[in-house]
Parts: sequence; structure tokens; C-alpha cells
Amino acid sequence: MSARNIAYLLTGLVVALIVVGGIVAIASSGGGDDSPGTGTSASAAPRVAGELRLFGADPITLDPACASDADSATYIVEIFSGLVTFDKDLKVIGDIADHWEVSTDGKVYTFHLRTNVLFHDGSRRVTADDFKYSMERAINPDTQSTVGDVYLDDIAGVDDYITGKATSVSGIKVIDPNTLELTLNTPDAVFIDKMTYPTAFVVDKNQVKDSTCFDSSWTLNANGTGPFKLKQWDLGQQILLVQNSDYYLTPKPSLQQVTFLLSGGSSYTMYQNDELDVTGIGANDIESVKDTTNPLNKEYHTSDSLDVFYIGFNTKKAPFDDPDVRRALAMAIDKSTLANDILKGLVLPADGILPPTMPGFNSGLQSEKFDPTAAKALLDSTGKADQLADVKLLTSGQGAAPQDALQAITAMWQQNLGVTIEIQQEDFGLFLKDIDDGNNQMFTLGWIADYPDPQNFLEINFRSDSGNNQTGYSNAQVDQLLKAADAETDAAKRLQDYQQAEQLIVTDEPWIPLYHGHSSFLVKPKVQGFEVPPFVLPYLRFVSITS
Amino acid sequence: MTLDITAPQLQTTPQKAQGSRMFRRLMRRPVAVVAIAVIVIIYSAGIFAPLIAPHGFNEADFTNRYASPSLAHPLGTDSLGRDLLSRAIWSAQTTVIISVAAVLTGGLVLGLSLGLIAGYARGFVDYLIMRLAEIFGSVPPILLLLIITATLLGSVQDLGYNVQDWTGQHWIVSSGAPSYVLVFGALSMFGWVGLSRLIRSQVLALREAPYVTAAQAAGASHFRIIFWHLLPNVGNLVIVALTLSLGAAAGAEVGLTFLGIGVQSPHPSFGAMISEGVGLTNVRTHPLLILVPAAVVSSLILAFNLLGDQLTDVLSPRRR
Amino acid sequence: MAPGLASYIVRRLAIVPIVLVIVSFATFALGRLAPSDYVEIQAGPRASPETIARIQDERGLNDPIYEQYGRYMWDALHGDFGTSVKPRGVSVSKILLPRLWVTVQINVLVLIFTWMIGIPLGTWAALKRGTWLDPFTIGSLLMFASVPVLVSVPLLQWLLVLKLGLLPSGGWSGASFLGVDFGLLSKRAVLPILALTLSGGAGLARYMRGQVLEVLDQDFVRTAEAKGLRSDVVVVRHVLRNAMLPIVTIFGFELAGLIAGSIFVETLLGIPGMGLLFYESVGSRDYDVMTAIVLLGSTIFVFSMLLVDIAYGFIDPRVRLGGAG
Repeated sequence: MSARNIAYLLTGLVVALIVVGGIVAIASSGGGDDSPGTGTSASAAPRVAGELRLFGADPITLDPACASDADSATYIVEIFSGLVTFDKDLKVIGDIADHWEVSTDGKVYTFHLRTNVLFHDGSRRVTADDFKYSMERAINPDTQSTVGDVYLDDIAGVDDYITGKATSVSGIKVIDPNTLELTLNTPDAVFIDKMTYPTAFVVDKNQVKDSTCFDSSWTLNANGTGPFKLKQWDLGQQILLVQNSDYYLTPKPSLQQVTFLLSGGSSYTMYQNDELDVTGIGANDIESVKDTTNPLNKEYHTSDSLDVFYIGFNTKKAPFDDPDVRRALAMAIDKSTLANDILKGLVLPADGILPPTMPGFNSGLQSEKFDPTAAKALLDSTGKADQLADVKLLTSGQGAAPQDALQAITAMWQQNLGVTIEIQQEDFGLFLKDIDDGNNQMFTLGWIADYPDPQNFLEINFRSDSGNNQTGYSNAQVDQLLKAADAETDAAKRLQDYQQAEQLIVTDEPWIPLYHGHSSFLVKPKVQGFEVPPFVLPYLRFVSITS
Repeated sequence: MTLDITAPQLQTTPQKAQGSRMFRRLMRRPVAVVAIAVIVIIYSAGIFAPLIAPHGFNEADFTNRYASPSLAHPLGTDSLGRDLLSRAIWSAQTTVIISVAAVLTGGLVLGLSLGLIAGYARGFVDYLIMRLAEIFGSVPPILLLLIITATLLGSVQDLGYNVQDWTGQHWIVSSGAPSYVLVFGALSMFGWVGLSRLIRSQVLALREAPYVTAAQAAGASHFRIIFWHLLPNVGNLVIVALTLSLGAAAGAEVGLTFLGIGVQSPHPSFGAMISEGVGLTNVRTHPLLILVPAAVVSSLILAFNLLGDQLTDVLSPRRR
Repeated sequence: MAPGLASYIVRRLAIVPIVLVIVSFATFALGRLAPSDYVEIQAGPRASPETIARIQDERGLNDPIYEQYGRYMWDALHGDFGTSVKPRGVSVSKILLPRLWVTVQINVLVLIFTWMIGIPLGTWAALKRGTWLDPFTIGSLLMFASVPVLVSVPLLQWLLVLKLGLLPSGGWSGASFLGVDFGLLSKRAVLPILALTLSGGAGLARYMRGQVLEVLDQDFVRTAEAKGLRSDVVVVRHVLRNAMLPIVTIFGFELAGLIAGSIFVETLLGIPGMGLLFYESVGSRDYDVMTAIVLLGSTIFVFSMLLVDIAYGFIDPRVRLGGAG
């Protein structure tokens, strides 16, 4: 090699760049406008008439007794069904149970089952025995469900069954094949709500046999009773559901097939390429969709979720045992910038804990407003600013970049309070353990409703002795109000109790409520009746496709 | 991206000390000079990041998100209004810290000493060390790196907290040190194999050289022979191999951080920048987010590849 | 065959089981050293700590690591690689095989293209040494070989998906051919194959160019040319034959490199192959899946490295194989 090689090499690199650039330039001009996929037919898989194509998350399990995550439940509620369900107005209605009676003391529920409910394989109809089997299976420790006892422990005799003192749950009684009687330990206003949860769904005992939650290969061919049958589950690739033509509720499912794609790149691009009929919209795309000159704007829908995202404090550990420190951090967060600017209106800023669509939502709630100067003054007055130096904000997740929102919050604290708080990402299991053990100072988490009742938000998270009270928050007045609400039979009075409790909690600030989900998505015009429910509910049977 | 983090195989014949001559020959090659210049520029940017970066790595400005390039932000800003140029400079600092630490611990300390010991002691010790090298060389590094960093991150961070409580040094965890230590520690676990083999083969040959046998005959201690006679003669090669493995370690850090198991946010890394910039929408609407880290990482790897070519040329007598 | 080579191969083969045991045990132990296991990860926010503890106990997660490892290996030797936890309760082979098939489809094609492009391109580039084409070939080969897939994939997406609209953005579709899943036949396969081939092919061509140049400078080639043999005959008969042998060694490195490449490409494009599965299984502490993939990956890697070393031994008998003291 000679001294000329530098010139050679540089020319080489430049030429290579020019060629690549040229290709790109030609390509760009040839490709016309910026919208991808114009005029080209990307991937033409054979289409089924009446097929709805969605982007889906990979479920952990399709076993109703075992599912503890929303991703799995999304499929389970379409494939399986239980005694009762919610209608579109979030009222409890009969599902496999045609109707039911509650005894005057509120302890005995008698369900009368429909006689025309078949398992998907058509082999036999569902009877009360199947329900007894399914619920006992969910509770049975041998099944190794982490949620079975959580949703069913109101039923009398569950404890004896779990500890092995009884061979069956005394509170679950089969009167005759069409009648099931459930007896509770104590009356519970939300018991019927809990019966809508998958742990109370019916499974086919001939198929399930004695399989555990960790040995549920039967779910690959799950034989359910819900509006859709599981046709095919290609692990990690796709889930195909087909219409259950024997479905017993009206409206019957109209879609022939629902395809959930579990793998793939950007669902937004796939939607534009007509590979999907529905897509969620992320913060990056929402502005262009909201632009009314964009043709996609007509396909833009939103839906509110019954959820809340928050920052929780460990109120038992310094410095967050001091409510003023918590309030100062809350006042230093500009929730409206967060919701509207960082998250582009994909969420609604949260003042309180209950989402706006929840019964008992209090529009007159008093909460700390964004005020950087007051926040700084308040923090200085506590004299604990320096203790914030080694505080970490614990979050769950795997990935290099925590959500923008969290980074924005720490940046706001930096700017408004001058404190550097690092975000610590942990995998979900460790994260939950650290929170349960109180091995944290502050964390961020979301809470989504199991059923539309304030009890599901307030009592579970804030009663002093609740198993899920992760902040260690304890306020005797709040406990008393929650207890009163539990026993209250007057619905309006009950909601009032919850509102008072919420006000006390918000003032004490064990959580900084950040925002409520307000998801945005695009739906092709040919898809009718597509409404995303506010929490996990069966909804696909209301959807249809016009040609 | 390959995560081949073992030191590149340099095939050379043992040579007597001629470091300065080699370096002079290298510097006569303009391509090598350019490659070295690129590496030096990126590494100096990293070393002097606190002095030259116009903004902090986590300095957000919400009124100025996704800003286009301007005088205030020469490369624009990211989704949080953080200055991209500054993010890139601070990321270079991470590159410097991880690659230098991994190469010093894995390459220099482990690789050199194990290579010297194996070559000098021969016999059973040599056998043991070489079998160990064989085992480490038979493992796909990426698989174990991923497992090590992903599973130990939590524990190492906990350890960081414990050390912090114990010593009262509150900067330890907030500086991100635990994740840095974990990443370069994991890299160095696999980084010693190539170098130790190289050194060993050199030492095996040098060991028979007249001046070594003479020193042995004169009753010099093992310590003296290793450090006085052998080390200076392999020093040359060590520097070359270490320089090249810097590039490999730098690339590996980017890959691990991209997967979310390397350096933890908000600490800057090209891997984190890439993972924030990928995604079709970002690529379409804010291409600088991906272009900036992509350009730096590619030039760095390009420069190390060039330098490797040039060094092989200089070292191998066969080549022109 | 060199006399030492046979015994060397035997020794190397003997080391394979040791390597596999060490690696799988390390995987096993590391997975369990992690602060949380799959029961905790999947328990959900409502589960009680007592229930979690009981299930962990029942599933043997509190047993000593060596006992758990022993159980796993015993079953593995009988062809049972355990069950996954995401999705729950599916046998590992059932999970792994479709994923492996996706990765194999991509990588076999990548290997074929890499060689089809790399060898002729490298030879051609070497023969053009000193002409006006030389800087272009050196420069572009170097550039393509140096761009990591982390960078090339987004750029290719921008060009081929956004600008040209030629390809879908990612993922994998289960196009089937004669009843067998052949995602390869779908357009989705283009992007990952292209990205991996670009860097692999350029790298191979660069290496090939160097080898051919080296052979060209050797005496016997010069002699042949001096004897008046036509240059294309020289190239095919002498140069290529002598240059190909060292090239074989790179095959092993390529195979090994594909494991790493697959993880990044599949993660970037959301392709349900083995690389993505591995990444996910580490995250969800899917011990059995994790260990099975490491066992498989290590086996491939060990044998590719063995191939490399043996090839070295063939090419240059002076190389003291392994150099046992």
C-alpha cells in the first residue's frame, strides 16, 4: 500500500455514500409521498370473509383459573364464560346464569342456569356440577393459582378447603343440574361483581383433568363456552378465534374469525398497510392522526379506561413518612404538561384516585395543584431536601428507556425542586416483592378495575389492613369510612362514604395520582361497533364487519 | 451486530521489543492516522464530556421537545427536549468507561497475567488455564452476557445500596455505578481468553530465547524473569490487542444497553439512544434520534476495523 | 491429516460435554440467583405472599440449585427439556421448535446469500486491486461490514418500508407451503435477511479479498503466470483453491455470530424466532426455555469453533493446535 491509500479510501467511502444516497433519492422520489405502502400490496395472506385482524399481546396463560394479567384475560373472556357478566353499561347481567336470587340476609346467592349452553366441542351442556368443579379447582391449592383464593374467598368453606379440612367447598352447592347455590361468610356488596372475573368461569373437566396452572397445555385447544372458539394458537405468532355459532346470549357473535397477530413491527404501519383493522395509536403518531386534514382522522376513536397511574410512597420510611415531602413532590409535577404534551392527550390528568367514568367520581375533589414555587418552599420548610438525594423511583420493566412520562417527572423534580431522583427499573416480580416488603421509597404503578366500583380502588389499596396496601398508609378515619361503606345498603350513601375517604386520602398524598388511560385507536370504516371496554370485558361479539 | 468480545486473533511471529518502530510505521499510514484520529476524537469527547458537553445528559426542556437543529441545540433535541449533541457526548463517556474498564480488568489484568503464567509455568498450570480458556471460548458470549446482566442487575443494584449505606457514600447508586460495574465485569469475564492465548504463545517462544535462558542460568527469580525479560517483549503486542478489544467492548456495551440490560437510564449510552430512536414513527418524523447514535457507533466500529487492518499489515511481514 | 489432528479432535470432542454441563449449570444457577422467579413475576398484583411462597415450594424452586439442576438434566437426557412458563405449561420442545424453525429459515438463507455474494465479490475486488474500482470496493465493503444491525435495520426500514412501501414493517407471517410453515416465502422475511446479509456478505468479501491477494502474491502463482497460463485459469485453479481453505474457517465464526445477530434482528423487527424467545425467556425467568436455548446455542457454537480450529490445523500444520503443554 502506498501513501495514496488515504485518498483512495476516502474516495471509496464517499462514492459508497453517494451511491447509497442516490439509491435513496431515487427511491424517495419514486415512492411518491410519505405514506408507506401506497400502491403496493404488502403481504396478501388469504382473507376470511368477516375476519377482524387485531394486534395482540402474547398471553401468559389461557387457563381462566390462573390468569392474573390483563393480556391473558383479554382472550379468556372471549373464549370462556361464567355465571354473570357486565353489559355495556357496566351493569351485572346473567351470562350462563339466566337469573339469580339473593337471600334477604345477603349471604345466599341462587343461580338458575340456562339450559342451552354447550361447550365449544358440542359434547355436552354446562351444568351446575361444572361450576362447582371449576370454582373448586381455582381455589384448590394443588392448582397453584395465585388468584383463585383472591376472588373467591367470600364463599363459605373456602378456608377449610384450602387447609384440607374439607374435601369440597361447603358454600358451593349443586341443587340440581340447573341450579347453583353460593353461600357467603358475610354479605358483600361487590361479590356479584367478583363473579364476573375469570376465576369463576366454567372449564371442561374432561379436558382440564388435574392439570395445574403451570401445566396447562390443554389451553392450546381450550374447550370453552364463550362467544368465540379458540381455533388455533401459534405460540408467539398468532391466535385465531372463530365464531361460536351456538352462543346463547344476544347479540350472537357476528365476526366469522378474529385474528390476533402476536408478532410484528409497528402496528400503526401495519394498519396503514391494511394488515390490521384496528390499531392503537402511540404518542408519536397521535398528532398527525388528530390533524383533521389527515384522512385517518375519520377512523380515530378514543375510549376511557377504568384505571389510574400513580406514584406511590412508602409512608413508613423517611423521608416520605412526612406528608409535606410527598405534597411537595406532587406540587412539582405539572400533570397537564405530562398528559397533554408528553403523552399527547393519550391520558387524562388525574386529580384523584377514581377515574371519571367510575361511579362515585367526585368532580369537586380538592387536590394539590401544580405550583413549583410553593413546592420548593414546602420542601425547604421540611428541611429534608437533602434526603431526597439517594431516593430512587422504582418502576417495573425491561428495556433501556423507561417511559417518557417517568423521565419527564424526574426532570420536573430536578427543575422545580433541584433534586435528582433516579429511575430504577426492575423486573415485575422483584418490583412487586420490593413493594410488598416495603423495600422501596417510592414506586410507580397502575391500577385497573376488576369491576366498576370504588371499593375496588379505595379499600384494596388504602385500608390499613388490606393485603394490597403497598404504601403502608394508615388513617383511622379512612378505615372507618371504608368499613361503613362496606356495610352500607343505600347506594348513594355508600358512594358518599367513598368520596369522603378519597378526599382524605388525596389530602394525605400516599399516592400522587398521575393520569387515567384515555386510549386512542384507529378503526377501519368497515368495522362496526368496535368499542374498547374500560377494563377487560368480552366485547368482540358486538363487533361486525360490513363489506 | 456481533458481540464477539474476545480479543481479535493477531497472528504474528514473536518479535523483540520494537514498539516505537511499529508505531512509527503505523503513523506513516494515513488510513491508520485517520482511524486513530476518529477513535481519539470520540474517546476524548467522552473523557472531557463534563467540560465540553453544552448540557447535562438528563437536562430536559419540555418547551423544546423534538426541536430541529439550531445554534442552541446543534443536533436538535429528543422526546424530552434533551440536547442530542450532549447526550451523544455523555454517551461517549459511557463508552470510554465501559470499554476501558472491561479491557483493563478482563484484558490486561486477567488476560495478561493468565497468559504469562500459562506460558511461563507450562505443565499442569498451563494445562489448567488453557482448558479454562477453551471452555470460555466454547460458550457463545452473547447468551451468557445476556443472562448474567439481566439476572444479576437487581442483585448488583441491591449490593450498591448496601455498600452505600455501609460507607455513607451516597453517590454510589445515583452515579449508576452498579450497572457500569456489572456490564464491564461481565464483558471482562469473556475478554481475557483471546489475549491470554496470544501472550502465552509469545511467552512459550520467548522463553527459549538466549537472554531468558541466560537469566535463568544466572539465577534470576521467576518474578524478575517475567517482569524484566518477558513482559517488555510482549508489551507491544499487548497494546495492540488491547486497543482492538476496546472496540469490541464498546460495541458490546451498546448492544447490551439497547436490550435494556446494560447501563440503566437515565445514564446515557449509545445503546439507549438507539433504542429511543428506533421505531418507524421516530425514524420517519425524527430521524436525527437514530442517525446521531448510529453515525457515531458506526464510525467508531469502522475506525477500529480500519485500525485492525492496518495493524495486521504492519505486524505481518508477509503483507506489503 | 496431520498426526496430531486426530487426537486433537478427540480431545476437543471430549471437552464438549464438560462445556455443556458447565454452561447449562451456569445458566441454571444465574437464573435462580436473580432476585425474582417466574412465580413471583407472574403472580399478579393481587396474589398474597403466602400463596406465592407455597407455590414456589411446591414447584421445587426452594430446593438447592444442584438438586433442581440434576432433575432438569436427568429429564433432558431423556429428551424432556421441561415446560415453559410463558405461555404456561407448554413443553419446551413445542415452544422451541417453531421458533427455531423461523430462525433457521432466516439464517440458512443468510448464509447462502452471504457466500454467494461474499466469495465472488471478494475475489473480484482482489483482482481489481490497483484499478480505479479498488477504493470504491474497499470503502463500501468496509462500510457495510462495519454498520451494526442495530443501525442498519432502522435505516433499511426507513428506506424500504417508509420511503418505498415495498415491505411490511416487521414481524413474521406463517405463510405455509405444502402444509409446512414457510414464513420465508413472505415479504416479511426480506428485511431480516437483507440486514444480516449486508454485513455478513461484506465481511466475508473483505476477508476473501485479503486471502486472494495473499495467494496472488505467492510464488507458485507468479510462476504459473510467468509460464503463460491464462489468468482466469490461474485464478480458478490456483488462487481460489488456495484461498478457499482459510475461508472455511470463517464459516464457524459466521455460524456463531448468527446467534448474536438473530437476537438483535429479531428483537428489532419483532420476529418470533429463537433470539427473541431467548431474550423474552430471560426476562420472564423461563428457566427451562432459557437453559434449553443455551444448551442448543452452545452446542452449535462449540462445534463451529471446533470446525474453525480443525480448518486452521489443515491449512497451517505449523499452528500448534490448542498447544497443550
